[in-house]
Amino acid sequence: MSDPEQRNASRFTQTNLVRKKLFCEKIAQFVIFLMTMAMVLPLLLIVGYLIYKASPALSLDFLFDLPRRGMRDGGIWPALLGTVYLVVVSLIIAAPIGVLAAVYLNEYAKENWFTRIINLAVINLAGVPSIVHALFGLGAFVLFAGIGRSILAASLTLAVMTLPVIIASTKEALSAVPMAFREACWNMGVSRWKTIRSVVLPNSISGILTGIILQVSRAAGETAPIMFTGAVFYKAIEKGDVFAYGLLDQCMALAMHLFTISTQVPNVDEAIPFATAVVLLGTVLVVNAAAIVLRIIIRTHKKW
Amino acid sequence: MVDNKIKIQVENLGVSYGGKIALKNLSMQIPANEIFGIIGPAQSGKTTFLKAVNRTIDFVSEASVKGKILMDNEVILNADNSTPVTKLHGKGIRDLCSHRRRIGMVAPLPVGLPMTIFDNVSFAPRQSGKKKKDELVHLVERCLKQAALWDEVKDRLNTLGTKLSGGQQQRLTIARALSHEPEVLCLDEFSIAIDPVTTMRIEDVLKELQSEMTIILVTNLVQQARRLAKKTAFIFNGELVELDETEKIFSGEATDSRTNDFVSGIFG
Repeated sequence: MSDPEQRNASRFTQTNLVRKKLFCEKIAQFVIFLMTMAMVLPLLLIVGYLIYKASPALSLDFLFDLPRRGMRDGGIWPALLGTVYLVVVSLIIAAPIGVLAAVYLNEYAKENWFTRIINLAVINLAGVPSIVHALFGLGAFVLFAGIGRSILAASLTLAVMTLPVIIASTKEALSAVPMAFREACWNMGVSRWKTIRSVVLPNSISGILTGIILQVSRAAGETAPIMFTGAVFYKAIEKGDVFAYGLLDQCMALAMHLFTISTQVPNVDEAIPFATAVVLLGTVLVVNAAAIVLRIIIRTHKKW
Repeated sequence: MVDNKIKIQVENLGVSYGGKIALKNLSMQIPANEIFGIIGPAQSGKTTFLKAVNRTIDFVSEASVKGKILMDNEVILNADNSTPVTKLHGKGIRDLCSHRRRIGMVAPLPVGLPMTIFDNVSFAPRQSGKKKKDELVHLVERCLKQAALWDEVKDRLNTLGTKLSGGQQQRLTIARALSHEPEVLCLDEFSIAIDPVTTMRIEDVLKELQSEMTIILVTNLVQQARRLAKKTAFIFNGELVELDETEKIFSGEATDSRTNDFVSGIFG
């Protein structure tokens, strides 16, 4: 072993140990790859199957037409529009409240029993089943507040449902901003609120937006919370009319419509529920893709 | 000694964090227009002292303070008994933000705020109401020159402050601390994250600046205090062990044996 050339040669010959290591490495890689496929494959199968089954009914006209012949024909425009209304109104309510509440909890609140209870409540509220939110919405907004079954009541219910998750994700994003940034501002005599506005929020906005937009898909997909509070089986509106609903009108919604035509209406052409499912899935995917694009855009402008 | 005006006077300052004592009965006088060194091992309360002086201690919600701090004979902190910082507001000075602007603070690790170099330096002046563009341009240039950074960044003031190297960011931090025209400049172990050459450059800057302002240099490099400070205080475990002319502290003939041990490297 004293000859350097010999030593170098032995360094590159495979000993049993090295062979065993390489074998383990390959096995591990293969198993991990298999798991990834196990996750991707069902998704592709489901989406492919849905699109295949839906293809006879899918068309632009399907998007913009009304359901006809007792929902056995025609399109899904009122339901699509209703879902958009519900999601947008619920976000307008939930996003500012959620973000500002998170700012308070993360930036201002002192560590004491009161904030501990609030934090605990936020976490637990996120775990409440949506049907419980539905009954709460029915009691609080529809009956007690006297709003009646309407887009407003349903959106408020959805807002209550999404609020805790928005608070939790916003808090996460805020606490990822280094404390040193805040201290540097305070040292320069910049007030707390100005520090938050000019340093903390701009640097956590991508995380905050991601959290909010992910809640869009949740709000769009839920049936239970809107079933008692504002969604109806059928509502006639003008074909392709974007401003068909008022805040106090009832509306149709995609998730609810899918439930209706696949369980409540007999003799529906098989392609129609599948097409509805594709549109619902598509809406959610579009929103998620938008979230990803937004995050990328903001991250390329991120400054640290 | 005609010019030994007292800039900051500290009387019986005590600070504790949730019952854990960080500073006890600290009393000292910091003379104006000098570099005042504070040395001591980690956890001895040096940073806490600076936080009490610029009142960012108020942001540490579990902290309690007692004692009195005067700056130019003006009360900036006054609490007879140990008072939680949350109940401090209204006692002592009224406008904390403008008080903080009288003190420039440089933290141990360089912090480039995630904005352009220009904005980094002009942030504080704009927050305090200076909005004229040409005024700001002059101010930014002057501060960057004072911090010995101007030549390196003058062509790229619109790049991000966080893209600079560590040593440059630390000088940017100093420029930012100077941007609100402070009367006192506090440096908290400014050299721990930067290279020796940059450290020497900043030390030269400090020597020049002391004619304009009072500089408090907190450091655990005892030789740095020896090079720069006229007077040096040795703080250990939250207590002021010794405060004297720097030469005396380092002569090996200090009054307290702990001081001699610390500066000669026997502990700490």
